[in-house]
Amino acid sequence: MIKIPARVLIVDDEKDFVEMFSLRLEGQGEKVFIAYSGKDALKILENVAIDVVILDIRMPGMDGIDTLRQIKILHPIVEVILLTGHGSTETAVEGMKLGAFDYLMKPADFKDIKVKMENARKRKDEQEERIRQAEVRFLLRRSGDV
Amino acid sequence: MNKHYDNKLRLLIVDDEEGFRRTIAKRLAKRGLKPVQASGGEECLGILKQNPMDVVVLDVKMPGISGIDTLRLIKQEFEKIQVILLTGNVAVSDGIEGIKSGAFDYLTKPVEIDHLVNKIKQAFEMTRLEEEKQKEFEYRAKLEKKMIDTERLASIGTMSTGIAHEINNPLAIINESAGFMKQVVSSPEMSMFSQKDALLMGIEKIEKSIKRARKITHQLLGHVKKPESKFSEVNLKALLYETFGLLKREIKNKQININWEIDKKKNIVWSDPYQIQQVLMNLLSNAVHALSENGSITLSTREIYEDIILEIKDTGIGIPKENLGKIFDPFFTTKSFDEGTGLGLFVVHKIISNLNGKIDVSSTVGECTCFQLSLPKYTNQTDNDTPR
Ligand SMILES: Nc1ncnc2c1ncn2[C@@H]1O[C@H](COP(=O)(O)OP(=O)(O)O)[C@@H](O)[C@H]1O
Ligand SMILES: [Mg+2]
Repeated sequence: MIKIPARVLIVDDEKDFVEMFSLRLEGQGEKVFIAYSGKDALKILENVAIDVVILDIRMPGMDGIDTLRQIKILHPIVEVILLTGHGSTETAVEGMKLGAFDYLMKPADFKDIKVKMENARKRKDEQEERIRQAEVRFLLRRSGDV
Repeated sequence: MNKHYDNKLRLLIVDDEEGFRRTIAKRLAKRGLKPVQASGGEECLGILKQNPMDVVVLDVKMPGISGIDTLRLIKQEFEKIQVILLTGNVAVSDGIEGIKSGAFDYLTKPVEIDHLVNKIKQAFEMTRLEEEKQKEFEYRAKLEKKMIDTERLASIGTMSTGIAHEINNPLAIINESAGFMKQVVSSPEMSMFSQKDALLMGIEKIEKSIKRARKITHQLLGHVKKPESKFSEVNLKALLYETFGLLKREIKNKQININWEIDKKKNIVWSDPYQIQQVLMNLLSNAVHALSENGSITLSTREIYEDIILEIKDTGIGIPKENLGKIFDPFFTTKSFDEGTGLGLFVVHKIISNLNGKIDVSSTVGECTCFQLSLPKYTNQTDNDTPR
């Protein structure tokens, strides 16, 4: 079966990490986009239909939690996985409350990341499907009215 | 007054002149002091080894070990004993020498008996004063040590979690780099490369070491709290059961007996179940590790005021006294690197402090170890509101 690549956005100010992590994901057949700050991430999200964002919590400037908040306002359907070495318990919990899909601490097992990514993408697809069906119902009802 | 000294003042009189010594002893006895007698320095030291004394009256001029040397030896070995020297009336310098060496005072012969009795009583008062001072000092030292310990633990904690955070990021870069190389080396194009297996082995060693380092940093940060975790009523017995489930294999292998002495009603606390389970897991796995085959673990609970006390007692190897103050420090371990990191109790202490609890430990080497957890008990609001 041919796998449809997921569009993944990695957001982290650690350039070395982003570089290696994206090479690895691309090697696995995903379509990877990268951003080194929260601002850049939001710009990319405006232009590309991203499935899953992998987001560092602690970044200079606009931090991960703020970025997460913005993503959830502007692109509520995009799933976000928090991945950080600075994961204090409180921010992790806060992130989950703000609607992050899951949380992982660096260095994480690649297998764990992959499983979480797949689940996140599945949830996004299901969500999109539900919206589509709702739209279809809406259209049908309208045409029925006529 | 004399009665009081009768019972308590233990006195030794040392003089080589038997007649003199006996007379003095008799006179002292009449005044309520019953001295033990010795005829020389050697005998004196022998007696002191067997019988503790408070005051020694010591003749300076004796054959064998001189009085001054005897004095020095007494002070060396029995610091607390007060010594009164008896000197010849021309040998005042002996007396001064004696005081320099730690004598309480000196009297010149011939001695006035009441004068001697007074000196003995003063010397005895001195021993008691010193003893009290010593006790007070020890108490203070203990108190200070305890206070410093908590502060020290907190500051070590802040520092080590800071370090763990900083190390996680470079560790993640190494992890992704190694992972990527592995991916490339494992690809079909590389199947002809003769060193492929060696290369893969190297990469796997890197990955294994990353996991080892990660175990430490993640443990230091005390695993991520589950988002849904919050305070609720926690049944300790149920949670202990669950935790034992996770340790089933080790318990079976070592044939460990579990004794349940848990009061049905007195085991509900108000706390975060997820974090409490982490604490129980650390304490129980330590207990299991400390036990040899057929050992036992006893679990009991009781209620003290507003708290529930949970005791976890194992009949394992025990903890030597000199280690008791260190076991809560991060990285203190007596286990090899693949058996322990020395972070378990550190995390336990951190969690319990955050949950407004307390933890204590007592142990006898070769017999048992007992950890006592104290946590705020759960009080049922409606029970309290309804008058009975
Ligand atoms: N129940 C116990 N019996 C004997 N020794 C114990 C017990 N619990 C803890 N210790 C001692 O305290 C040390 C620190 O424990 P811990 O912080 O859990 O780290 P670790 O178990 O990784 O060594 C142990 O290495 C051991 O020496
Ligand atoms: Mg341990």
